[in-house]
Order: sequence, then structure tokens, then C-alpha cells
Amino acid sequence: MAHSLSPECTPLKHEYDACFNTWFEGYLEPAIANANTKGHSQSQRIEYSKQKKEEYDRKCGSIWAEYKDCVQKAVTEKGLGGLLSQARQENPLREPPPPDASGSS
Amino acid sequence: MKFFSQSFLYDDPWSIVSLAFFLRYPNPYAAHVISCDVIDRHQTESGSLLTTRLILKRGALPRWAPQGIISRAESWVIEESEVDPFGKFVRCRTKNLDHVKVMQVEETQLFEQNEDGRTMQTTEAYITSKFGWGMTKRIESHGLARFKAHVQRSRQGVSLILDLIRQARLQPMALSSYITHLHSDHSFASTDTPTSSHSSDNTGHAPEEYSSPTTENTWLGKIWGSR
Repeated sequence: MAHSLSPECTPLKHEYDACFNTWFEGYLEPAIANANTKGHSQSQRIEYSKQKKEEYDRKCGSIWAEYKDCVQKAVTEKGLGGLLSQARQENPLREPPPPDASGSS
Repeated sequence: MKFFSQSFLYDDPWSIVSLAFFLRYPNPYAAHVISCDVIDRHQTESGSLLTTRLILKRGALPRWAPQGIISRAESWVIEESEVDPFGKFVRCRTKNLDHVKVMQVEETQLFEQNEDGRTMQTTEAYITSKFGWGMTKRIESHGLARFKAHVQRSRQGVSLILDLIRQARLQPMALSSYITHLHSDHSFASTDTPTSSHSSDNTGHAPEEYSSPTTENTWLGKIWGSR
């Protein structure tokens, strides 16, 4: 796994990545389990999301908090905080998804 | 400003390509990636996963670039992605945070499942220089040429990870033997398999050389982490 920007965070990052990767493989599951996932109802999605979030918090929550703190400290020390918050204000992912991805048909 | 757009079709289903895309660093085609960190990650109520990563990349300046054009040939890159396992798409937008006056590259990636079960990747990029001094066009053209090469390498990297995921799914037990490699700090360049000791020639180490089974095993452990 790739290094962290700060050597002291790298062991935490590796531990977190390993946890996340395992969780993520399962998170992608609706796509595998049901070929016609676009037919899922909104309530099914919300229920699934809640369940996955709970699983993530339980399994990876504490290592995530530790790793995130470490990286945030390193970002501040390297003076990257300003650059980052500026970039994230133009956050592209808050836009609504493109029409073809929202499952019309 | 230069614009680039290209589509590519993977034979694998969306979920596996998406997994490979997230696991793509490190790989031998991305030796320029120095570090990669998740700085924010959360799920939306509707079940999408939003991730922000901060990546440090090493760049090389062209020979014609004026001395001191940038203070160091490294660049911070922010990557924001959205994964929707129901709508079966990954959207990812990347841009460099520094040296933006010299050149800003804004890249978007979209991975969608096709109706035939294959996965379509669409890459788009805007390359903009505000450098002036009569060099803007030259810098942008250089940036575009570099980006085209980058897209090719990036895809080879994802394909390599795809192979490893397929292997891992076929032989899950084999994964345990890789765990010993997990937290070793060797760079990939140092995982050369011992070969005969001919005097070294100038071929260098093309990424293809790393595809021997022994190195792949090391890779897999590093990419996957302990399970």
C-alpha cells in the first residue's frame, strides 16, 4: 500500500486501508448480488446504507479516527490546509449525478 | 486550454473494476506516486460513498522549461470520488493544487456498467496554463502529450490490479502467505528477482519486468493488506 504523506502516519494508514478494502469489497456487493440493482427502492438503499455505515464504524471507526487525526496534523504542519479548503469549496461531487447515472429507463 | 476525452471498455464487471480503481496505488505503472492519503470519507444517506484523497506526485519537467519555473518537481493532487453501488457508477475528479499558474490539469473519470455487463471508463481532462511569456501553448501541448501517456499507463496499472483481484478470488487461501510482506518498507524497485549477474545494460527497468509471478505476489500483499 502506498505511503502516507507523513512517515509517522504510514503504519496507521496501512492498517486503515486494509480494514477499508475488506469493507469496500462488501460495500460494492449490491452490484454483484443483484444484476438489476437499478430497481432498488429508495428505502432499500437507505436501509443498506445505514447497515453498511454501522459496519464501517464498528470495524474501521477507531483506526479511521486515529489515522485521520494523524494526517490532519501533518497537513497543517506542511501548510497545506489553505490549499485544501480552497480546493474543496469548489467541491464537484456535491453536484447532482449525471442524468444517465440516475437510472432512467 | 486543451481538452482530452477517451473511453475504454473493460471486460470485467463494474464492481471489480471499481475495486481495482480504488486499490490502484501503488502499482509499477504509478511510480510517480509518492504518497496517497484519505483525508475525508463518508456515506451519503442515499448510500453513495464520498472520498477525498490527497496525493503527492513526482513530476519531471521538460528540458526546455526555464530554470526555477517551479520550486520543486512535486505536485499535490486532490481526488474526489463518489461510488454509487446501486446506480453502478464511480465518478472521480482530480486536480493539482500547486503550480496551477504553470499548468492546471483537471481530470474526470467515470466508470459505468454497460448493459452487457462490461465496464465503460470515460476519461476527460482540461489542461490549462496561465504562464504567459509566449509559453502557454507550448506548456499546454506538452501537458496534453504527457496526459495521453499517463492515461495509457494508468489503465495498465488498473489492469494489473484487476489480474491480482481475479487471482485472489480464485485462490483465497494463497493470500495468507503474502501477509508477511505487508508492512515491509521496500520500494517496488527493490523487489527485483535475483537474476544472472550479467553486466548491466542500459535497458533500465520497464514496468513489464515486474510482472513475474514472484513480484506479483509481493504486490498483492501490499495492495490488499491483511484480511
